[in-house]
Amino acid sequence: MTQAQNSSTAVSSPTASSNRMDVLKHEFMQIWQVIAALLLIYLVFFVLSPPFRSFDTLLSIFGQASILAVLACGTTIVLISGGLDLSVGSIFAVVGVTVGIFLAEYELPIWLAVCGGLAFGAALGALNGAIQVITKVPAFIVTLGGLTAYKGLAEILASGRDLSRFPDTFQAIGSGYAMPMGIMFATALLTGLFLTKTRLGSRAFAIGGNAEVARLAGVPIAKSRIYYYMLGGFLAALAAIMEVSKLNFAMPARGQSYELFAIAAVVIGGTSLFGGRGGVGKTLIGMLMMQTITVGLSYMGVGTSYQRIAIGVIIIMAVYWDVWRRAAR
Amino acid sequence: MAAASSKPVLEAKGISKHYGGVIALDNVDLTLYEGEVLAVVGDNGAGKSTLIKALTGAIPRSSGEIHFDGEEAHIETPTDAKNAGIETVYQDLALVNEISITKNVFLGREILRDDWLGKLFGVLDFKKMDAEIRALFSKLDVRIADIYRDAQAFSGGQRQAVALSKTVMFGKRVAILDEPTAALGVRESQMAMDLVGSLKDHGLSVIMITHNMQHVLNYCDRVMVLRLGHLSAVRDVKDVDGDMLVALITGANEGDA
Repeated sequence: MTQAQNSSTAVSSPTASSNRMDVLKHEFMQIWQVIAALLLIYLVFFVLSPPFRSFDTLLSIFGQASILAVLACGTTIVLISGGLDLSVGSIFAVVGVTVGIFLAEYELPIWLAVCGGLAFGAALGALNGAIQVITKVPAFIVTLGGLTAYKGLAEILASGRDLSRFPDTFQAIGSGYAMPMGIMFATALLTGLFLTKTRLGSRAFAIGGNAEVARLAGVPIAKSRIYYYMLGGFLAALAAIMEVSKLNFAMPARGQSYELFAIAAVVIGGTSLFGGRGGVGKTLIGMLMMQTITVGLSYMGVGTSYQRIAIGVIIIMAVYWDVWRRAAR
Repeated sequence: MAAASSKPVLEAKGISKHYGGVIALDNVDLTLYEGEVLAVVGDNGAGKSTLIKALTGAIPRSSGEIHFDGEEAHIETPTDAKNAGIETVYQDLALVNEISITKNVFLGREILRDDWLGKLFGVLDFKKMDAEIRALFSKLDVRIADIYRDAQAFSGGQRQAVALSKTVMFGKRVAILDEPTAALGVRESQMAMDLVGSLKDHGLSVIMITHNMQHVLNYCDRVMVLRLGHLSAVRDVKDVDGDMLVALITGANEGDA
């Protein structure tokens, strides 16, 4: 009698109706500035540097973005849920080395090595989440611990081993442009669907927005958080496999600072560092923006050190823009 | 309006809550009868919110038991309370700003698609959730059309209307409201209190914390007064006036419970 679903009241709303198109429009309004910034940056380099104008350059921007973008999709999920994972660069290193060992030393079938690597990455991510949930130690500290511990693990596993020259079919995963770009777009699409269409994904916004409200509403916060970190670890592992395949060798030094590049891309795209807001489309654009700047500056003969300074300035500007817009509302 | 009966729905006995050496709530009894609106009043720090949180599993009780329909109920988490048919609107903790009205209403109780996508991946059925909310809002005369927009975009009155609607949608027996008109203007308060009145019509028994004596006198059947963590009086509203309540709240009248 009190249940609304038993009500036969007509579905009518007393005031002007709004529909899903309005929502899409609203979302576009939020993201168009980032897209415009990306196009503007591209255009600037297009004008300034003749070699930048080729289609190959465009491809290489996407190609270079792909591995980090896959990793950053996981970072997006974790940040939206109000978490932070500084250890994904190290998970990247461990998984790269592990898959290398699976292939070079144990000569496992490729599918098994890949699945094993993905499962390992997911497990390490889940461990980050579980430690936080159980000990209540802040994400920053737990994953900072993970950053160094997983790195050490990668070094131990790799020491005295030659992890290179993998089977040709394995090399196909990360080589060229088509495969990495395909994996990047597929990952972004699936992550986007996860965040917007599924129960677990949509709860990330609620938990990141206000964890206490979500808890009182009956959302299993601890369990959900572990899943988000697990997905972050899984996607770091996928990115690692792409890179090992592309380079045709694995070493523990890979993945260094990747967690920071990923966070930078997520933030430049406009996802909140404080949780509750954001999306994977924004992350993709943020990552493309970073790569465009890197590639563009290289073409203009600007060294990597200066590129780093430029990226640093842009991260601060992006967040400043976000803060300024919030204050203006 | 449905008249209050003498059948208790919810009975809490000897509820206490200690924070270290601080006693926030000391041995408080509460009885809620079928179909009534019970007001909980008291000064700041009297233990009103603590009582509600202890009743609904939002915080662990130090001691005390809860009976529901005459049987002992094990309410240790917010989900236990919901499963028992108790819906709560916590003050300032009713909605997540960053998500849509639809997602807010169904948070924790999302409806999944009835096909393999729902079963396998937990894909949400937005169509069904939207339709149910529209039906509910039209039934309660809540005028919110933009249910896809983030909760942040709405006024305090609209947000409270959403939170109260949620209790109608999911509350089977009891609605517990922590200051439903706090921070609302006069007109919005009126709208919120009309909604509280309609909770009763939808078969819910209501516990309501309030600071507004007029709301107690106009909308409630009984009133319990908390003072410094103790229950100081329980009265039928028809036996009290505003001055008497204020005296009980401030301690000018010591009470008797």
